[in-house]
Amino acid sequence: MTESSHRRKEDHSSVCLDIKDVVKRFPGLTAVDQVSVQIKEGEIFSLLGPSGCGKSTLLRLIAGLENQDSGDIRIGGELVNDLPPYKRDCSTVFQNHALFPLMTVTGNIGFGLVERRLSKSEIKKKVSEKVDLVDLGGMEDRRPDQLSGGQKQRVALARSLVLEPKILLLDEPLAALDRKLRKEMQVELKRIQREVGTTFLNVTHDQKEALSLSDRIAVMNEGKFLQIGTPDEIYETPRTVFVASFMGASNIFSGKVTSKRDGKIELETKQGSRIFAPAPEDVEDDEIAGVSVHPEMIRIEPLEENPQQFDAEKHTAFRGVIKEVFYQGNFSEITVLIKESDLPLAVFLTRGTGPEVQFSEGQDVIVSWESRRNNVLRK
Amino acid sequence: MRRKKDLTSKVLGGLSFFIYFFLWAPVIVIIVFSFSSNKYGVQWDGFTLKWYAALLANEAVKDALMRSLIVAGVTVIVSTIIGTMTGYGLYKLHFKGKQFLRTSIVLPIVFPSVVTGAALLVFFTRFIQIPLGYPSIIIAHIVFSTPLAVFVILGRMQRFDWSWEEAAMDLGATRIRTFMRVTGPTLFPAIAASALLIFPWSFDDFVITYFVAGIGSTTLPIYVFSQLRFGATPVLNTIGTLFVALTMAALVIMHFLQKKSESISA
Repeated sequence: MTESSHRRKEDHSSVCLDIKDVVKRFPGLTAVDQVSVQIKEGEIFSLLGPSGCGKSTLLRLIAGLENQDSGDIRIGGELVNDLPPYKRDCSTVFQNHALFPLMTVTGNIGFGLVERRLSKSEIKKKVSEKVDLVDLGGMEDRRPDQLSGGQKQRVALARSLVLEPKILLLDEPLAALDRKLRKEMQVELKRIQREVGTTFLNVTHDQKEALSLSDRIAVMNEGKFLQIGTPDEIYETPRTVFVASFMGASNIFSGKVTSKRDGKIELETKQGSRIFAPAPEDVEDDEIAGVSVHPEMIRIEPLEENPQQFDAEKHTAFRGVIKEVFYQGNFSEITVLIKESDLPLAVFLTRGTGPEVQFSEGQDVIVSWESRRNNVLRK
Repeated sequence: MRRKKDLTSKVLGGLSFFIYFFLWAPVIVIIVFSFSSNKYGVQWDGFTLKWYAALLANEAVKDALMRSLIVAGVTVIVSTIIGTMTGYGLYKLHFKGKQFLRTSIVLPIVFPSVVTGAALLVFFTRFIQIPLGYPSIIIAHIVFSTPLAVFVILGRMQRFDWSWEEAAMDLGATRIRTFMRVTGPTLFPAIAASALLIFPWSFDDFVITYFVAGIGSTTLPIYVFSQLRFGATPVLNTIGTLFVALTMAALVIMHFLQKKSESISA
């Protein structure tokens, strides 16, 4: 690691990208709705959300390819609202890589350097450094139509990184690659980012990608940020119903708060069940819409003659009937019908660490989990 | 089943051959007879190049040829430039009346050429004082050639990946630099193709040119028409061969440029 990238990695307190109250409207649609966030220097930040949530539009606003209706964008402290893309200190890696078809790999990577009027020898040096960084040695004279999808994406990455921008914007760069290649490229991306220390802003709809790649994530829907936090915060404690279901915490119980004491809230569901959950600090009772629990936190046992009784404050438990067992090899996903919920409960049973019991459809079971795992959701 | 298929393809093959023969026979006859020493150019009397020699000595033909080439040359350049700009604007900009402009651009080629020719003549003589001769011919040719350029270039732009332009600007190139380094070179085959399409379109035009040429300005097609009263002469065969050769050359070059442009759009 070079000295500057080492310094950048530790300098997390300085703000690289500052977005304040940005709004972008299209006819009939507000794509970006009062969005604010501060992205720190050196971090990998992901914008995560479903198609059409506004994440790509926000990226284009930062890059300067579109202009916002209101709000401020600052890159490295500099206000860029009125600057065209070629004057902003950021660079974009496009989803379809957008490599210039008539130029070779070196031509593509050196494109921006030519615009900066660097000398031929300097350009040559910088280009070859980046070719080594992205592992494309030997391909320098190839044209884009002679490269594979993964190689093209690496050229696009090198082309942007060689300009040493303050922030690198990635617009779903791995979406067009097949699954195996995508995983390899995720590892590559992280390695490259740690090596050069540039701030990465990554737009994706893939939760797993966001979780494994990012230092922080912003979950976005319908133009708004729903939650910003570290991957473990977003996954383990999703704030709203949308975030919970988008991140795969697929067991959601809706209900209203009926009482609150000792740092716990009591929720009453539509079907009349009482569920206890840890009371969150910064939420009013009437803002709470329900709780979620992750499938891997649920314990499943066959129903016995004298079933164990549970104290609802410590454990949430229900009787149910197995609807289906999906065997996935290293784990099984079991869906259980319980009368306390309209939707089946999803349970993950890990092979190896789980009990050695066979489960089958139609079996009576008890599902239980620690009530402290119940995660409170806002509307 | 197989035999039926064979029969069908044989019939289709025969039919195609007949159609092509029908289309090409007159042209081939003209080309062949341009080398015949027959005085009227209507049968084969022996090989000769003397009609081509006569052509080279014929001042009237040379004058007409020169005029046709100049008109076509200027038309190609101006129409291509206007056509490229129009295609660019129609594709990328959004303004009121855009749809109207886009559909009405086709009018000059849709109107019967007699109507266009007559209308232009009235326009040049009554409405604006444009001298009949080079100015009127060239303007008229630009009028009916530009739509062609617009279509070819617009068509190419539909397959153009505009993220190339965005990437170029994102990497630091201004709009002009982007056009010079990325858009221009990529569109070049299409621009060249439209130029090569316009050349025969203008060079071969008779009707509109006849209306607006005025006295003393003869293009090659007009010259050929004016020779009709003298009956068939071998010179007509040679001129005909000349037309075919020039047009074929233009189309062949255009074909290769199209192929090159297709390999780029991958």
